[in-house]
Amino acid sequence: MEIHKIIQNYFQQLPFELQLVWILSVFLSLIVVIFVVYLKILRSSLRKEEVLQEESKKRYETLLLSFLFNESEGDNASNQEIEFINIINIEINDNFNRKIIIETLLKLKNEISGEIEKNIQHIYLQSNLKSFAYQQLESENWYEIAKGIKELTQFKVEEAYSQIKILINYPKKEVQKEVQLYLVSLFHFEGLKFLSSLESDLSEWDQIELLEELKHLENQEIPEITDWLISKNDSVVMFALKLAKMYNKYENVDTLIQLMNHENQKIRLQVILVLTHLQVLDAKGVLINNFKSYSEEEQVAIFKLLENIFEPSDETFITEHIHSNNFEIQLSALKMLKSINNNTFSQLLTNKKAFENSRVLNFVQNN
Amino acid sequence: MNTTTLNGIIQVIHYLFFGYAFLAISSYIILSIISAFETIEYFKKNSFVNYKKILSSDAAPSISIIAPAYNESLNIVENVRSLLSNHYVNYDVIIVNDGSKDNSLEKLIEAYDLVNIDYLINQQISTQPLRKGVYKSTNPAFEKLIVVDKENGGKADALNMGLNISNSRYVACIDVDCLLLEDALQKMVKPFLEATEKKVVATGGVIRIANSSIIKDGKLMDVNLPTKLIEKAQILEYLRSFLLGRMAWSRLNGLLVISGAFGMFDKKIAIEVGGYDTSTVGEDMEIIVRIRRYLEEKKVNYKVAYIPDPLCWTEAPDNYKIFISQRNRWTRGTIEVLRKHRKIAFNPNYRNLGLLSYPYWLIFERFAPVIEVIGIIYFGILIALNEVKWDYALAFFILAYLFTILLSLGAIFSEELTYHQYKKKKTGLKLIIISLLEPFVLHPFVLYAAVRGNLDYFFNKKKKWGEMTRKGLGKVNN
Amino acid sequence: MNNKKKIVLAEDNSTLSLLLKFKLEKEGYEVLVAEDGKKAIELIEKHHPNLILTDIMMPFVSGLEVISHVRNKLNLETKIIVFSAAGQEEMVLKAFNLGASDFMAKPFSPNELTIRIKRLLP
Repeated sequence: MEIHKIIQNYFQQLPFELQLVWILSVFLSLIVVIFVVYLKILRSSLRKEEVLQEESKKRYETLLLSFLFNESEGDNASNQEIEFINIINIEINDNFNRKIIIETLLKLKNEISGEIEKNIQHIYLQSNLKSFAYQQLESENWYEIAKGIKELTQFKVEEAYSQIKILINYPKKEVQKEVQLYLVSLFHFEGLKFLSSLESDLSEWDQIELLEELKHLENQEIPEITDWLISKNDSVVMFALKLAKMYNKYENVDTLIQLMNHENQKIRLQVILVLTHLQVLDAKGVLINNFKSYSEEEQVAIFKLLENIFEPSDETFITEHIHSNNFEIQLSALKMLKSINNNTFSQLLTNKKAFENSRVLNFVQNN
Repeated sequence: MNTTTLNGIIQVIHYLFFGYAFLAISSYIILSIISAFETIEYFKKNSFVNYKKILSSDAAPSISIIAPAYNESLNIVENVRSLLSNHYVNYDVIIVNDGSKDNSLEKLIEAYDLVNIDYLINQQISTQPLRKGVYKSTNPAFEKLIVVDKENGGKADALNMGLNISNSRYVACIDVDCLLLEDALQKMVKPFLEATEKKVVATGGVIRIANSSIIKDGKLMDVNLPTKLIEKAQILEYLRSFLLGRMAWSRLNGLLVISGAFGMFDKKIAIEVGGYDTSTVGEDMEIIVRIRRYLEEKKVNYKVAYIPDPLCWTEAPDNYKIFISQRNRWTRGTIEVLRKHRKIAFNPNYRNLGLLSYPYWLIFERFAPVIEVIGIIYFGILIALNEVKWDYALAFFILAYLFTILLSLGAIFSEELTYHQYKKKKTGLKLIIISLLEPFVLHPFVLYAAVRGNLDYFFNKKKKWGEMTRKGLGKVNN
Repeated sequence: MNNKKKIVLAEDNSTLSLLLKFKLEKEGYEVLVAEDGKKAIELIEKHHPNLILTDIMMPFVSGLEVISHVRNKLNLETKIIVFSAAGQEEMVLKAFNLGASDFMAKPFSPNELTIRIKRLLP
């Protein structure tokens, strides 16, 4: 063992700090080796898993479809279903399988309506699948809870209501959001009641998801949003404004105009957008009178609104702004002027020099 | 000066070097750990997000993809097709043909049935003027496309023209040859929409290297590890820097740069700060620093975010000459930006930006190559004077090398546990081998390029962008 | 000789396309499935189907481009039914402008689809 001795001797004569360095190096080398080995194992297991996933996907797809297509005759139908459920009840004890089965079920359920969708729903409720989801609700881990709620939402499990509702103020936002989606997905406008007492902020992303859930409704009961429009929670107000736009809530016009006094500029901007969509003539007066008090962004939005509802009586106001410093306001004013009073507009053309930016004038003239 | 003082000074210098190395290594470790946490958290939060909802929503915010193009005629039709096939619902594509001398415009006109239209541009940022004008398609299938032909002004200038033209709330500034995955836009816009307390003003995406990967009709078909060492080494480098570096900085809200190849901005803010700076080659970093500075001065609560998902695939240099030219440009860009904004250095008024990000970038990014070169020269002198303590040298070299390998392996690991893009057999082994080789195969060139960058910056003012010869993104084996 | 009417189905959701294939084959049609727009066009050019079913959102070539290709480049009058995720009215309008014959919003009933197909292919 010559080499061994040589190394040992060398090491022992080193100063202490270098010995430390070498020990550290050996330690790091070990970690490197472990990493390398683990990497190999990880990669091959990932590869195997993928192959398995593909196979399982195909298998469950075929199984599900053959069940769906063989159930035509009466009695035989429920037997078939029980058989199918029995098969999957055994398989779903394995997490991997359960995930794929649920995915396969959802792939169909989300795209299809009618008999087949009801069948799939039925299978979910009758099998043990939902008990796994319930179990997840009891987890310590927010991630599991959120996943459980999501699954129950996707399969529209109404009986889970009481268990899910109590999670509405769960400390983690992701869970809160899943609860909200559950409520709205299953109970539509009724489910929105949480807005009245919501203290945390609804992000724009959340709002979009909630609105999308509301869109898919067979029963279009129009919600009562007045309370939410005057909520102390600004994000709830924003959401209510989006609802006002989506459901053409003309009856709330007065409240909307009132909201132009709100301190939050984002809200005022959204109000103008809603008024534009609803084409509310009554709003014109207030907005024009208070025009100077608004920020530039709001002024631009007001002009966009005006483009939809302007009348010849607005000519004076419009003419005030044909030399506006703001490009969009100037463009908008000129367009409207041309429409109201072509003569005055044409006169402007003869005196182009008065315009700092004659491009705008030319453009409006030609288009 | 007597020997004791001289020895004393030399000791101090040694300790400074040692301290620098120690701090650098510690910072890498800390950043890696923070990155790991941030990536895992991102993963958990987004693993069950339904991105499809936003695709059919009327409330989905508008996004403009702005892609400057200069002499890209080889691939431009395919690249545009790819951009048009994104699954987001409310977006448009603005291609800015920056005074190309080739037939890019003609090819586009033919492929997409374009006609010249009268378009009034809101000149919020001054740019080079239009050349042949603005074009839109007569075919409703290509309604999202706007092509702008203007006089050459450089990438920053072209982007600014895009900013002027866009009517969207957000802009995604990309390289035209960057392959954007179909769900890139909704993933990138999510941080903006999820934010409640802090306003997200920009998000950056991870750039993946597409060399040797198969791209057909604008879709990523097959991910392959490229064959050349230099390409493989860059992949490793990108993995380290994105997965172990930028994720951490995003968490610390200290990001100073979003890759110019793919980044999304709040358009209003980008215009408010005056758009991109046309006088620097580091315009992608410069605009982020300027936006951050502006918002710090206005005392706004903001964030610059990062998405670790692989959303953008692009071509990396495959030969040393172009590689060095690229890194040279990056070095000059960094120096320019840091000098332009030196007011914020160590300035508590700028909080994290001035006290953490800027100093870190200055000391460990900008000056690292300089210190390394000084170290090498010093080492050379010591060799010449026969003053080297070889025991120490050997021990520390090996330690440093092992540490580098470990860091690279960490990056490879992160990648495997998250996105696992390189699935083919033997790739794992190849990546490990390249971790062992990178310090010899890539790093010296990075260093050389950085030195040239420094020299060019101070003594050669004429250099600008240089040519990146288009090789065609991903050759298809038919 | 095979008298069956041919249908090309362009859909990237494998479970859904399998279901539709089973159902339509039960009704007596021959169904060719493509996972994306590009493959769909290949199948269309090769087999000259009597009817085309296509999703709008697909990898590579979108459903809209499929319609455009069939109507403008191939100049075929083949009936085309388009599926879309609910809420994309704009897309649907574009589809009709390009020449689609009918559309069904997702989620849709396969029975309803069969009825519409029968109406278009008497």
